[in-house]
Amino acid sequence: MATRAFQRLPTAPAGRILALRLVAIALSLCIIAGVLALSGHSPVMLAELILRSTLGSRFGLEDLALFMCPLLLTGAAVTVCGTIGLWNIGAEGQFYAGAIAATGVALGLHGPALVMLPLMTIAGILGGMAWITVPTLARAYAGVNEIITTLLLNFIASLLTYYLTTGPWRDRISGAQVSTQRLSVSIPEMWGIVHWGFPVAIVIVVGLALILSRTRWGYEIRIGGANPEAARYAGIPVRLRIISVMLLSGGLAGLAGMFEVAGTVHRLQGGMANNFGYLGIVVAVLARGSCLNVIPAALLMALILDSGIVMQTQQLSASVILAITGLILFMIAIGDELAHYRPVATTPAKGKAS
Amino acid sequence: MNNPVSPAAGPAPSGPTGMAPGTPPVLQLRGIGKFFPGVIANKDVDLDVWPGEIHALLGENGAGKSTLMNVVTGIYQPEEGEIILDGYGQTFTSPQEAIRAGIGMVHQHFKLVQAFTVAENIHLGWDEAPRLASPAVMEARTREISERFGFPVDPAARVCDLSAGEQQRVEILRVLARRARLLIMDEPTAVLTPEETGELFRALRAFRAQGNAVIIISHKLDEVMEISDRVSILRGGRKVGTFRTADCTPSMLAATMVGRDIVRRNMRARAEGAAPIAPHPIMQLRHVSVRDDRGVETLRDVSLDLHGGEIVGIAGVAGNGQRELTHVLTGLMARTAGEIVLDGSVVDRADPALFAHAGIGHIPEDRLRSALAPALSITTNMALREYAQAPIGRHGLYDAGAAGELARDIAGLAQVNIPDFAMPIRNLSGGNQQRLVARREIRIASRVLVAAYPARGLDIGAIATMLGYLTDLRDQGVAVVFISEDLEDLLNVSDRIGVMFHGRMMDVIDAENADIATIGMLMGGREPASLQPGGPQ
Repeated sequence: MATRAFQRLPTAPAGRILALRLVAIALSLCIIAGVLALSGHSPVMLAELILRSTLGSRFGLEDLALFMCPLLLTGAAVTVCGTIGLWNIGAEGQFYAGAIAATGVALGLHGPALVMLPLMTIAGILGGMAWITVPTLARAYAGVNEIITTLLLNFIASLLTYYLTTGPWRDRISGAQVSTQRLSVSIPEMWGIVHWGFPVAIVIVVGLALILSRTRWGYEIRIGGANPEAARYAGIPVRLRIISVMLLSGGLAGLAGMFEVAGTVHRLQGGMANNFGYLGIVVAVLARGSCLNVIPAALLMALILDSGIVMQTQQLSASVILAITGLILFMIAIGDELAHYRPVATTPAKGKAS
Repeated sequence: MNNPVSPAAGPAPSGPTGMAPGTPPVLQLRGIGKFFPGVIANKDVDLDVWPGEIHALLGENGAGKSTLMNVVTGIYQPEEGEIILDGYGQTFTSPQEAIRAGIGMVHQHFKLVQAFTVAENIHLGWDEAPRLASPAVMEARTREISERFGFPVDPAARVCDLSAGEQQRVEILRVLARRARLLIMDEPTAVLTPEETGELFRALRAFRAQGNAVIIISHKLDEVMEISDRVSILRGGRKVGTFRTADCTPSMLAATMVGRDIVRRNMRARAEGAAPIAPHPIMQLRHVSVRDDRGVETLRDVSLDLHGGEIVGIAGVAGNGQRELTHVLTGLMARTAGEIVLDGSVVDRADPALFAHAGIGHIPEDRLRSALAPALSITTNMALREYAQAPIGRHGLYDAGAAGELARDIAGLAQVNIPDFAMPIRNLSGGNQQRLVARREIRIASRVLVAAYPARGLDIGAIATMLGYLTDLRDQGVAVVFISEDLEDLLNVSDRIGVMFHGRMMDVIDAENADIATIGMLMGGREPASLQPGGPQ
């Protein structure tokens, strides 16, 4: 009788996933070190440099928090949408839309920061929501695949930003390229250059986790995502829930754009989304559908981005970071799959098979 | 035990007449057994299929037809028994080996590449396809194959532009081009119009005339009568018998399919203090009809009164409108004609939440697909009906602690031992899932419980428990609709039995005096007026 050495579990235990992910990251780092060594860099020196200038220095930690802030929100945007079984690939575009809307308020209105910041926040959220409105309605009423519609709108939002920052909103004061002037209001800073958007983003992510697990709305979203037919059976208005979740998702990504404009960059710039929208997908995949997991996932991603800056100072190409991200994600995907397998004791051979 | 049919199984079969003596059957199955964890899918199945015959395989859902055919086509390997082709024993380790041996299967759900042309689909994965195949070459070859076998297709057409009947022809040609001598068709007419069905049957007869064999899986009795030479009936994974179609009647086939050794046990007796049958109906269907997307009437002019304290059984071969009836009764499907009356007032909206709130519970046919979210926790699933009510759903919140308590309550009543309520419900066995769903629905079923095939897939003890749930609920004054394919269960617990055929409620008869022959006749579509004694026994 043939015996299988491994048995596939329907659900992988969280502990095994964590352990295998650590192994995956360690393996990825080994591979990266190997490649760097082959290309003439000293991995040990680089590692030391990276550690010292990211986790080991105040500047590094501040940068880390600034990277984390948008990643938390775009990661949450993708995760929330994924809870009802949909993919928002358009966080990048909604990020821009939120940034544009917030900038529009800042450029068009004048008032004390106490008034302006809430207005810009609302504008940012509404901007992100507006950007996902068409994909949302197309999904809810016509069954149009949201992956494609949200993705395609990213390019429009990006180009719109370039148009505004080189056209009507271009910087006429200091003449900065592809940028608006510096905005007159900004989110106050709490620790060095880290603005209050960072703790707010953490609170939002934790709040979302609570909403999804502790409200009726969240329950309905979870059922709708896990089995739409069962949701219909229970009388849950799935279409309305899809609309609300997608708008929320767009709003979160828009808020990320507003934070970036008003807290970190202080201007609207072409290309400022910096792939935060797409990296939100990576964060969501790493978070495995749990909002709370978005926090460590965003931290990991921010660490990678932060390391990228150090590497660029060492004459390494910026695209190395994308390759590293891809490699780590790839290894983690393998690790997650392997976590489903449990070794089974092979039955010892009972003499001759009859 | 060389005789493939047990003596009790009816007329002994033999090969079609006019065959040279000593001609072996195309396919012989001997003692096939196939087991899945906790389920006996097939056991002791013997089957002979002769050259030049169309052999129907009949049986209810879950009777083991598909598993048996998956064994024959190499998708599954049997745990017991042997497969003999043309007199030689064979083992298939893959579907490719079965195809090479001349066994081809056309599945109910076509396995074609929608974006490819007919010619490309025919040549896909075919080792005889020419190495350098231009579209013109493939289309010419396809045209030749199409003419040779008498299945007209347009080789250059894209599959996605074809009708269901045309796609089926492509599937058949794919199989025939690979020199199949035994064609297995799974519910081939389910997606066809009557004209297309006629064409298919003509082509199958032509295929048979060349000395080939066909196995056709169906539960449409009239079609089985029309097309097949012999018919084998499976029940509970075992073969009940093989009969010459000419010796059969639809009602006899129906009755054989659903069970013949019926033990009448009266579970109609009420316990002391049980609620009597309410004089006024809780719920009424008045001339309700339903049309599907294609405009076909799947429920036709059904009228039914449901009284508290009564179990109404619904008999019928699966697919005769039971699903639609269930959905109309639970608000999942809008009726296209007639009216639904609940507590004396007409319900206009098909809204499952509204129906559930009115105290109508629903144990659906396919629990994993429609009543549960398999990947979510047991607790989450158990809250599905009560998440919006206190104590779980107060002030728009979801109280996970209260949901956990509810889940423990339900599991306790269902006598399911659960180590961890946070684990996905798909980790439980089908029987335990069914018990949990049943208890969850019984909790909310204060007026009506609609139970569709609640005993399907359960073992005998669990079936008895399930029937006990139904009679308990009846004694509490709830109206129970019990849809089943098992006549024994139906006769034992129901007060009245409605029989469905082609979407119509043929008749609703008193279960106490009902005889199986009458029910069999009605299931086969005979009007009550034309009933006469006689049946399978």
